[in-house]
Amino acid sequence: MSMMHATQLGTAPPTAQVMRWVIAATLPGLAVMTYYFGLGVLSNVLIAALWAVAAEALILRLRHRPVWPTLNDASALLTGVLLGASLPPASPWWLIGVGVIAAVVVAKQLYGGLGHNPFNPAMVGYALLLVSFPTHMTLWAPPQALWSHTLGPQILGTLPTSSLDGLSGATPLDAFKHKGEAVLASEFWASSPLPEGTLEAWRHIALAWLAGGLVLIAKRLISWHIPVTMLGSMTLLAALFYASDTSHFGSPVFHLLTGATLFGAFFIATDPVSAATSRRGKLIYGAGIGVLVILIRNVGGYPDAVAFAVLLMNICVPLLDIYSVPRPGGKASSEHKATRKAS
Amino acid sequence: MPAYEFPGGIYPPERKERSNQTPLRTAPLPDVVTLALAQHVGKAALPCVSVGDRVKTGTPVGSRDGMISAPVHASISGTVIEITDSAILVQSDGEDRWETLPPLDWKNAPHQALLERLDDSGLIGLGGAGFPTYIKAQVNEQHAIETLVVNAAECEPYITADDLTLRHYAADVIEGAQLLAHLCGATQILIGIEDNKPQAIQALEAALTQLPLSASVSLKVIETRYPSGGERQLIKKLLNLEVPSGGLPADIGVLCHNPGTLLAALHAVRDGQPLVQRVVTLTGDAIRQPGNYWVRIGTPVSALLEYVGINHDALHQVVVGGPMMGTPLASLEAPVTKTTNCLIAATQEELPPTPEEVPCIRCGACESVCPAQLLPQQLHWYARAENDTALETLNLFDCIECGACSFVCPSVIPLVQDYRASKQRIRHKRIETAKAEHAKHRFEFRQARLAREDAEKQARRKARLAQQRPAGNDASNVSAAPEADLRSLRIAQTAAKAAVRKAEKVLARTAAQDPHQHHDDLETQLATAQENLKAAEARLAEARAASEHKEAP
Repeated sequence: MSMMHATQLGTAPPTAQVMRWVIAATLPGLAVMTYYFGLGVLSNVLIAALWAVAAEALILRLRHRPVWPTLNDASALLTGVLLGASLPPASPWWLIGVGVIAAVVVAKQLYGGLGHNPFNPAMVGYALLLVSFPTHMTLWAPPQALWSHTLGPQILGTLPTSSLDGLSGATPLDAFKHKGEAVLASEFWASSPLPEGTLEAWRHIALAWLAGGLVLIAKRLISWHIPVTMLGSMTLLAALFYASDTSHFGSPVFHLLTGATLFGAFFIATDPVSAATSRRGKLIYGAGIGVLVILIRNVGGYPDAVAFAVLLMNICVPLLDIYSVPRPGGKASSEHKATRKAS
Repeated sequence: MPAYEFPGGIYPPERKERSNQTPLRTAPLPDVVTLALAQHVGKAALPCVSVGDRVKTGTPVGSRDGMISAPVHASISGTVIEITDSAILVQSDGEDRWETLPPLDWKNAPHQALLERLDDSGLIGLGGAGFPTYIKAQVNEQHAIETLVVNAAECEPYITADDLTLRHYAADVIEGAQLLAHLCGATQILIGIEDNKPQAIQALEAALTQLPLSASVSLKVIETRYPSGGERQLIKKLLNLEVPSGGLPADIGVLCHNPGTLLAALHAVRDGQPLVQRVVTLTGDAIRQPGNYWVRIGTPVSALLEYVGINHDALHQVVVGGPMMGTPLASLEAPVTKTTNCLIAATQEELPPTPEEVPCIRCGACESVCPAQLLPQQLHWYARAENDTALETLNLFDCIECGACSFVCPSVIPLVQDYRASKQRIRHKRIETAKAEHAKHRFEFRQARLAREDAEKQARRKARLAQQRPAGNDASNVSAAPEADLRSLRIAQTAAKAAVRKAEKVLARTAAQDPHQHHDDLETQLATAQENLKAAEARLAEARAASEHKEAP
């Protein structure tokens, strides 16, 4: 039995390094979010990260797996950060805990730990919270000053709105979704339905996520395939909807720069473990997410849909993996198709 | 001609400057050589000397056994002191007296003589594959060969043996290429070399200007990217042709040879020198005089390393071959073999131990560097699960084991090691399922051997009888062999000849496609066909003799 020396010359960043870089790349997005929505964003992320590390340590113990080396890969931390960033600012601590446990314990470790989870852990946690606690999950305070948040309700575990009544609001996607059939888009926007600066805040946040994502692509930590096809198919489909009826559907730009689109495209959909694995598969996977996001947003029941779209495409991954095997050099394409059919 | 691209590939640190700064030197003669009997693909050679025999440099000590095999020659003059199951040891007399074969002029000598010379010289592929050259040279019996590619890419880090060989023997290597092109009928010779070997390129260019234009030898400098020296990758790069999956370059009319092999072929033919020495790169941070050396086959690695100034305290491990595809040496007492192109005496710092692997996150880095366009991440998954059906569907056997995937894996998973183990397991399974078939082939061989012995005995008896009796009486007593009988025997002999050729073809092809496999069963089938042929020839000869006797008076 021979020993492989290739890895010894390797200059590739180890997996843990990749995770750390992705966490670092969330900083621009988190910073801009915090700027617009206050410290509740950071406290979310912090609480989620603590929950994630604690839950991972506990479950590793229960599974009799080495705790420290696994925690050191920072994958649980990353899941916590991503889930924390998706929640409404200053969410109750227990809500964050429920989401993180669903993500780290159920969606990841119960399936075998890092590398074995079929679903995106952070999005499993998010989807669970969204269907279980819709009130908590749809209350986004409007943009406010950095220090205006009182973190009391978060720590007490109550709804932030109980003390901040009247300030509670909706995200642009939410508001637009529920504008009502009778209201035309132009009328809707003319009525200034959102507190001042909301739309702009979301746009800036989206661009900050884009910046972080571009860093990841530039450093080759994620490949371009998923973000490009996801955003591409979203733009295309949103444009078709918009062209068919400008009065009821959002424009492509509206879809790209609001909600979780750019965050999802660069930080969620690119999770390699639960995504399709071949480059060709990734193209289809990303495009599928984009299509689902627009379909759910425009004709489905939810204002935003990145979590559901990602999870639905996660389900398709085993199939995509079978049908996207590239043709190896030297194999005639007919022969290659035959083996694929046989499988 | 534009350069084409093969997919994937990596740019590992080259570290070639450590061994290519000094000219080619000659290592001192060793006191004892250990001549391994299995230095090549196929069956081990059979010892043909006994302990105590005096041998010269170039005396055959092991003979070819079966078709896919190669003889082994003494690489120093002296006395055979030990014969083990796997090797023959020769003690040097310090005189280095040679036993060479008569020189041949390859331009005028018959092909058969040249092929025999390659065979008798123990020539095998020196680039690492170790495939008998005389078989490769006959490939044009089944495939028309148009292009002979000289694979001088030498893409593995550290190794500079081909580089130095070309700097010193560019003209000879080209002549060797012409010799083999002449044998296989190739009309053009293409030399593929990576652009990190400027001096070798210069030497080749100089040598090419000496050639007549009609020689159609061209030099093609390609970008340095691992693994451009892979046969399939180089052919794609030079000719934009894809070698069929599971096939051979010969299937698309191409033959690849390593410069060292070509030089050795020329030495064997022009100078009558059997393969007793080769160029070895001695490198690594643990030796003081790295460089390239002419080394006698069988020299102990320890003696070589001592000669170039090994620092035992700094030495961490010795790797045979390059850092990508090579293997660590278990013992320093191991000898240099015909396929040892490089020895890296590495310190811990330069080739540190692999860190603990972590789970695959399917990042796909491996996929983007795979030159065979496989999905290493999926293969990894199924290799660990021992799901052989899925592995074959994912084209495991198209993996060239270049190690690019392991090199980029952020989870430091020894991917190639897993693939090799899986291939081995699948091969083993195939052999197991074919066992009954193999037993049948062995039985058929035995039957064929008995029939042949019977036929030969019969022929001898008839011949004796014919000699004892005066020719005149013979015609009346011996029942006349009818014309029809003679014809059917002739047909049987032709059929047996065709069967031998077919068996040879199958064996040569299988061995070339999958050198790591055991080919004993195919060797048995070939031997059966050969026995049948001998029997048919004996019968035919007997019948001819009888009919001549009849006609004589």
